[in-house]
Amino acid sequence: MTDILLQTRDLSKHFGGLKAVDRVALEINTGEILGLLGPNGAGKTVCFNLISGVYRPTAGEIHFRGRRIDGLPSHLIARQGIGRTFQIVKPFASLTVLENVLVARGITRYGRFGRLWAPWKSGSEVAAGMEMLERVGLGDLAHRKAGLLPLGNLRRLEIARALVVGHQLILLDESFSGLRHEEIAQLEALIRRIRDDGITVLLIEHNMRVTMELCDRIVVLDHGRKIAQGDPRSIQENEQVIEAYLGRGGGRHAA
Amino acid sequence: MNAYLITIGTLIVIYAITVYGLNVIVGYAGQISLGHAAFFGIGAYTAALLSTKAGLSFWQALPIVIVISGLIGILLGLPSLRLKEDFLAITTIGINFIVEALFLYIPFFGGALGIGGIPRVVLFGVKLKGLAFFLLCLSFLVIVMVICWWFTRSWGGVACFALREEESAAASLGISPVRFKLLAFVIGTMMAGLGGALYAHYMRFISATDFSFPMSITFLSMIVLGGMGTLWGPLLGAVLLGILPELFRPLVDYRILFYTALLLLMIRFQPGGLLGEGSLVRKWLVLKPAGDHP
Repeated sequence: MTDILLQTRDLSKHFGGLKAVDRVALEINTGEILGLLGPNGAGKTVCFNLISGVYRPTAGEIHFRGRRIDGLPSHLIARQGIGRTFQIVKPFASLTVLENVLVARGITRYGRFGRLWAPWKSGSEVAAGMEMLERVGLGDLAHRKAGLLPLGNLRRLEIARALVVGHQLILLDESFSGLRHEEIAQLEALIRRIRDDGITVLLIEHNMRVTMELCDRIVVLDHGRKIAQGDPRSIQENEQVIEAYLGRGGGRHAA
Repeated sequence: MNAYLITIGTLIVIYAITVYGLNVIVGYAGQISLGHAAFFGIGAYTAALLSTKAGLSFWQALPIVIVISGLIGILLGLPSLRLKEDFLAITTIGINFIVEALFLYIPFFGGALGIGGIPRVVLFGVKLKGLAFFLLCLSFLVIVMVICWWFTRSWGGVACFALREEESAAASLGISPVRFKLLAFVIGTMMAGLGGALYAHYMRFISATDFSFPMSITFLSMIVLGGMGTLWGPLLGAVLLGILPELFRPLVDYRILFYTALLLLMIRFQPGGLLGEGSLVRKWLVLKPAGDHP
């Protein structure tokens, strides 16, 4: 089953003379967890922002389910069925947890002027929102103000919002960073469940152990270029990857 | 009833209508506007010109006034709303000065003399004055408040809340920042236009200085004092800041000083306004903020 869900061709983003992302070719297969790995400044988050429409690529193409989506603004990319989270969490702080998820449920309405005027807290919407919160394990915090939640719960909340929008693909930007040990284990289980529900996951992660355990495949970036891709085992043994992380000759010392 | 009280009451209600418009822009969508008096003025001048030069009645002119206010809102909002925070604030101040200058220097708008001889509003063949006009304004205020209440419960409203809280997160959930900021801006400027039309027909003489920058500050002070983004806050703010200058007539020259001090104190000690969440008044009234009860 190697059905390509999202593909980038020669994807590039330059900021002045800096080639933040340089001719990157990514292929995300339907139903997999793909990890995007690389040292700080490798261009991972820029890659995310290109796919999710925050930035417009300098060059290259992005195809999603056979449709070209590069250059579309964020809100239109979201409407294609791509959800995302943020490295620095961005909850709607003064709204409740449930309301945060309901905002995402409006995605079918925000594009149509005539559908904007119905009440947003209808019974069916609230029920669907609660179901989503149960799915990510935030059911009992539904009526809490989002701004008051600790980081681990905020990351779950962002995943819940992303899942409402991203019924095809979700992009997780360092969802594990800053979490406690047991929170990491719970989140790993959640992401596996999401994958098992048929949603494709692209994630950026710094935590090596998590990446190796969780991902079906890994793509490694360094200085904006793709330097390796493959299953976790082959990545661990890849010379170039070891060099990118530890410097030339580092592999020898590490071994 | 005392004519003096009715006069103050009528102005307060007219200001409240306008301030509810500003509340949609600033309180709901989080877009700072320091030029709301310009749109209040655009409504007033449009109504004045339509009644004195085109000979339309208030009722014939009103839909045109509201549409024109909204259209100018789109025209000025489209470039401005791409800016954020301080830049948007400065741009809206600029809009206020430019609009005031146009009223002042273009002869079509009456120049420094303004426009006089604006007829009273006639309803069922009766000229409305005093209490009757106050009640007319009050009915418009009720309509405006119902629209605001409905907006906060609608998908359009929640899209604006999301933009106010986190623009990039809102965009990642399918909300077009430009479209919804503009929506809030147009609703807000249309309400200002309505307020302006009522003002013109109430004062029956208007001039550019009625719509100058200090008026915008007054409007903003009203929502900051009452409670930004709340349903009753703008009304409370309009009532308090409408009454206070009357109580302290001798200090009228220090009004702007007072507003500035008030703004600073509110932002320091009660950032949500008198009726905002966690405010002293709310605690005193034992009103629980929505969503705090599990």
